[in-house]
Amino acid sequence: MTFTVQQFQALLPLVITCATSVLVMLSIAWRRHHAFNTLVCMLGLNAALVSVYFAAQVGPQAVTPLFIVDGYSLFFTGLILAAGLASVTLINTYIDSFKYNREEMYLLMTIATAGGIVMASAHHFASLFIGLELLSVSLFGLVGYSFHRPRALEAAIKYLVLSATASAVLLFGIALIYSQFGSLAFSEIGPQLHEDARPIVLIGLAMLLIGLAFKLSLAPFHLWTPDVYEGAPAPVGAFLATAAKVAVFAVTVRFLLLEAIGALQIPAIFHTLAAIAIASILVGNLLALRQNNIKRILGYSSIAHFGYLLVLLLTGGPVFGVEGFAAYLTIYVVTSLSSFGVVTLMSKCGQDRDADQLHDLRGLFWRRPYLATLMTVSLLSLGGIPLTAGFIGKFYVIVAAMTFQSSWGWAMLAAIVAGSAVGIYFYLRVMVNLYLAKPGMHKFEAQLGWGQHTSGLMVLCASALVVYIGVYPETLMQLVQIAKAAGVQ
Amino acid sequence: MLEAIPMEHGLALAGVLFSLGLAGVLIRRNLLFILMSIEIMMNSAGLAFVVAGSRWHQPDGQIMFIFVLTLAAAEAAIGLALVLQLYHRYHSLDVDAASEMRG
Repeated sequence: MTFTVQQFQALLPLVITCATSVLVMLSIAWRRHHAFNTLVCMLGLNAALVSVYFAAQVGPQAVTPLFIVDGYSLFFTGLILAAGLASVTLINTYIDSFKYNREEMYLLMTIATAGGIVMASAHHFASLFIGLELLSVSLFGLVGYSFHRPRALEAAIKYLVLSATASAVLLFGIALIYSQFGSLAFSEIGPQLHEDARPIVLIGLAMLLIGLAFKLSLAPFHLWTPDVYEGAPAPVGAFLATAAKVAVFAVTVRFLLLEAIGALQIPAIFHTLAAIAIASILVGNLLALRQNNIKRILGYSSIAHFGYLLVLLLTGGPVFGVEGFAAYLTIYVVTSLSSFGVVTLMSKCGQDRDADQLHDLRGLFWRRPYLATLMTVSLLSLGGIPLTAGFIGKFYVIVAAMTFQSSWGWAMLAAIVAGSAVGIYFYLRVMVNLYLAKPGMHKFEAQLGWGQHTSGLMVLCASALVVYIGVYPETLMQLVQIAKAAGVQ
Repeated sequence: MLEAIPMEHGLALAGVLFSLGLAGVLIRRNLLFILMSIEIMMNSAGLAFVVAGSRWHQPDGQIMFIFVLTLAAAEAAIGLALVLQLYHRYHSLDVDAASEMRG
């Protein structure tokens, strides 16, 4: 097989990210210098982000049967790289107080980002599998990184066992599909799935979807999410909620909406997915009511948000659906980065836990008014209040569900409305805490000059984007056309 | 020759192994045995790939098996590191000992 210059150029973001992980590894081996290793990692990821532009110049390219680099994959590559970069930025100040080896965190983060990029351009079950595992295996390490905290160990064990089980289920599903069609390429399996839905194919497809639903933490498979979010260090939580989810969702949509659209017309699959979407919305919003830990609340909130995204996938169709979920995911990434960012700015890895209890946030407005404002903005956006980005995302979901014209469409719409109403209550509950009277003593405090660090600046930018997208969504809607253009092949 | 064995038999064997592994993950409380059960699940998926590959006379199934082995090795490495940490902290391999988070 010949490998042309154009194909190499199209694969540039992935190549640069992988090269960065090797470089970071070598520079750690050479000298454990925190600032220098951070610099290497940041430069590499920034170069990869810039190279997305050059990769876009060569147009859609199929690079080996494994990858396809088109507008769709490049949009999500950019989003994953931006989220990875933001998480690396958050790590920098957070991990300074960590007693043990600090630098490997950057290495694991880069490898996980590379896995995400592989998934965003995957066009074959082999590349899906490799990308998913590059991502998951490095996340095992990241979740348990602050191993001096008891909760981190518990979170890592739970994540390892459940994620590995999900991977095995997913693999078995792929093997069953492969045994019937004799191909692992999406484009060859996709058209046959609908015409030839034998029981064994249905079982395989169901196992594949169960595996993916585990990684996306959709409702009956969501049990790990709050525990892992709570136990993982806050910047890793940011990465889990953004880059990891975006990558898995991008490949799920590529398979279900762009290649195997017939799979959604199989009644059993459609009804199950619709029920999963409704259950995720309800479970995520209702269980968040009882929580007193902001990281757990964000975990439940992500379950609910991926329920909304599943509604978009089921009702939007390949044109509106791709546009809508590209916009929704971008909004969700920006919002999550800013909310996890505030928690990270207040915490230090050296302490025995993060500043994640609601009473740690109590009276934040009277101590760090700007930080409290950023948190308020991101919570409003998660709740979907107008003039913040979250409203635009919810608007897409509701339009898709309303135009779907079927009883499932109305049922999902009802779940969205009920879920949003409950959601606003628990987001407001966190918000009220920010403005209560300042307690006499508090354990956690953001540094005074938090806005002058790169991590503080990143959180500021993310919150500014939340407001900007909410007030002036035109820019995002134009950007989303990149992904959509590829959707209508 | 594997040709003499129908593919369905191979898949059924893989399915039985997979169920055994899944049951092990659900029932066992010892982290070491949970990891072993996961390994069984992974390998049963690998077996299904090899069987399917031989039906279509393609090397793809065996290549996927090599990927599965690589993954199983990487996961075992991390899993055993966690086993050590768990034993250090609780002097037991019972995963329920470490389960504090609720809700």
